[in-house]
Amino acid sequence: MLGMTQNIAKKHIRPKEGFFKRTFGPLLQAFREGDAWTRLSAIIMGLGNLRRGQIIKGLLMLAFEVGFFLFHIFFGWQYLKDFGTLGTVSQRRVWDEAVQIYRRVPGDNSMLILLFSVLTLATIIPFVLIWAANMKSALKVQKQAEAGVKPNTFIQDLKTLLDERFHITLLTMPMISLAAFTVLPIIFMVLIAFTNFDKTHQPPGSLFTWVGMTNVTDVFWGDALKSRTFFGILGWTLIWAVFATFTNYILGMILAMMINKKGIRLKKMWRTIFVITIAVPQFVSLLLVSKMFTDTGVVNVLLQQWGLTDGPIPFLTDPTLARILVIVVNLWVGIPYTMLMTTGILMNIPADLYESASIDGAGPVRQFFSITLPYMLFVTTPQMITTFVGNINNFNVIYLLTTGGPLTLDYYQAGKTDLLVTWLYKLTVNEQNYSLASTIGIFIFLIVSSLSLLVYNLTGSVKKEDQFQ
Amino acid sequence: MKKLLSLVLALAMLLSLSVPAMAETVTLKVWGSQEDQALLTTLIDFFKAANPDKTWDITLGVVGEPDAKTRYLEDPAAAADVFAFANDQLIDLVNADALYEVTRNKEAIVAANSAGSVESATLDGVLYGYPMTADNGYFLYYDKSVLSEEDVQTLDGILAKANAAGKKVLMDVSNGWYVASFFLGAGCTLSLDADGNQVCDFNNEKGVAAGEAIRAFCADPAFMTGDDSVIQGGMGDTICAAVTGAWNAEALQAKLGDNYAACKLPTFTCGGEQVQMGSFIGTKLIGVNTQSAYPVEAMMLAEFLTNEAAQAKRFEVRELGPSNVNVAATEEVKANVALAALSAQSAYGTSQKLVLGTYWTPAEAFGLAMENKSTDDMKTLLDSMVAQITGK
Repeated sequence: MLGMTQNIAKKHIRPKEGFFKRTFGPLLQAFREGDAWTRLSAIIMGLGNLRRGQIIKGLLMLAFEVGFFLFHIFFGWQYLKDFGTLGTVSQRRVWDEAVQIYRRVPGDNSMLILLFSVLTLATIIPFVLIWAANMKSALKVQKQAEAGVKPNTFIQDLKTLLDERFHITLLTMPMISLAAFTVLPIIFMVLIAFTNFDKTHQPPGSLFTWVGMTNVTDVFWGDALKSRTFFGILGWTLIWAVFATFTNYILGMILAMMINKKGIRLKKMWRTIFVITIAVPQFVSLLLVSKMFTDTGVVNVLLQQWGLTDGPIPFLTDPTLARILVIVVNLWVGIPYTMLMTTGILMNIPADLYESASIDGAGPVRQFFSITLPYMLFVTTPQMITTFVGNINNFNVIYLLTTGGPLTLDYYQAGKTDLLVTWLYKLTVNEQNYSLASTIGIFIFLIVSSLSLLVYNLTGSVKKEDQFQ
Repeated sequence: MKKLLSLVLALAMLLSLSVPAMAETVTLKVWGSQEDQALLTTLIDFFKAANPDKTWDITLGVVGEPDAKTRYLEDPAAAADVFAFANDQLIDLVNADALYEVTRNKEAIVAANSAGSVESATLDGVLYGYPMTADNGYFLYYDKSVLSEEDVQTLDGILAKANAAGKKVLMDVSNGWYVASFFLGAGCTLSLDADGNQVCDFNNEKGVAAGEAIRAFCADPAFMTGDDSVIQGGMGDTICAAVTGAWNAEALQAKLGDNYAACKLPTFTCGGEQVQMGSFIGTKLIGVNTQSAYPVEAMMLAEFLTNEAAQAKRFEVRELGPSNVNVAATEEVKANVALAALSAQSAYGTSQKLVLGTYWTPAEAFGLAMENKSTDDMKTLLDSMVAQITGK
């Protein structure tokens, strides 16, 4: 353990310029100290290796270079050349006399141009990395030849992949998948925020193009309606996230403590009853509840039949009532989870702490605030942050319960219980306003990531990591 | 060597046989609503039987007419070759260059279908869809044991009788489709300007009067709102009259039995006068996707699915109002209570073609404010609704 800490410490102390030195140092060295073959490898990859007898490695590098340029010339360029405009010619129609129809002639497709341009540009990064490796390798085999050492054969090279370079073997596939399926789509989506991709700009019929920061400024101040909607929804999203997180946490904890209390019988039965609500899929409960609270739903009908109210109570159509309703219904969905988790932690608190506390004369309240709560917070704060972030993006509860409604004329295509994420969903699915939705997606990411990083680093769990008993 | 040669020859023969046969396989995808699946399967079988010269590979997908545009725009290349849609989506689809113009057999198609339905599929003089049904509208269903033919002439009459009998009058005011009825009746319009932007004058004087009429209607003790399930569940029990469309006819007839009746919408009091309620009148069309690999064959199928025989079958199976003039003239169609009411209402109908997608959410929000008994200034409410609809 101690050795590991020292290792980490060493890495932290290493000066920042180390990265550049490590990366570019050997490259410069290759140009400074390399002979003609090594230097020529900068243009014809693998030449140095070929010269020193590493035929297969040299040919592979050469093939990679040729493949890269063929890819760019025959595939990448046709999209990349239109990257600046995202296409100019939309789909055209030409009369076909023989079959009496207007045949469509495909034009540019903004979306494909954007997508494949990102892909093409992204291939430059592995190319540069392999090119640098090629230079280093050329210098290495040159040095070996000068020293009279026989360079590795291809088989020996391959064997190192199972030995000292085993990390490369293990991590290559995950890294490639991560780049292809996570990083590239995110870059693509982020770029859409700077275009006018909406329902009046749908390729192939009509193309979209770059509009700069218009979407961003619209959301903040440029468009009164959109910015009012954004800030209104952002405010409610935060209120919702705070309430949904802390009500569940506190009530779930109280429930767990009640069940955990000495003298309560049938503990297992109580726990099972509450866990049953988890067994019913969340969306089923939510859809049922949303039916129950409509004007003609069972709750309103019962209230009226018992003579408690004259007319139906607008649970789902009055903004304030709807907001209260989603928070309350969320308790039903969330408390069992908190209860389960809290039960485990409560049982883990050493009983002697409580015993000595009661000998010292501390009552139940004092015990709770001095022992239980600090212990709980210490363990569960990181989990609470995840819950909070999850609640900011809690699509299910809101959308299945109220679909963001009641709609209001104050907002742009949104209702009073809409969260940013459900508004985003409506903008994409109902309105096809992809550019605005993408802009909002970026903001959600910024808000969520900065909030969680900030709070996480302030928690006791991180600052007093070593003090955990 | 000979064996090898014969093997090669045999293979070549097999290939020469199978290649043209493979080229003749026409792959088409069709979208229709859930309720139409059985009917479409039958019709497609008829189509295959009627065109035996090609090998058909036709698959069916469930995408209802209201969702066709949205699902199409998600990915035009993956959308169906032939799909049914409501004609209010026509403009958006044409803007996205989604639809093939109807150019083959155009005269015959135009002649076979009612002028209104052809007009509903036409934009700037170009026909973009094959008319399938002409019943996408709404009218009044009522319970004969509570309301007389006299009562249903005016909204005030209906409400008075309903209150006396302790029953409800249902209209889904928080739905842009229905709430427009008052505005259109009062003489307001929805149209497009030269750039294709929505123009809406629901906030003029007539509109304000209509808005106040909606407010009064929603404040009436007999007023009730709800969706189809509420109508089907409550008609005859707590509800004595409801505004909805032909798709509920069968369920309501079963519920009301001998008391089943339908008629055009009533008149309402607007600024002190009696004004006939208007309505949106829409058709359902079949379109051919411009991304289709087999446009000619797709058009053949679209035409087949909307021809006289298919429309007769559609009425027989689903009681949907035909756009075909010959089918509409048959005794069976004329005897249909709901379709007769719809046809009476269509005299006061406005085509839904010129309504853009931006209309619905603000109109729904306005309707919701009325249902919640909003006391805000009507002119202000309508101004903000119109501002959102027109995007200004």
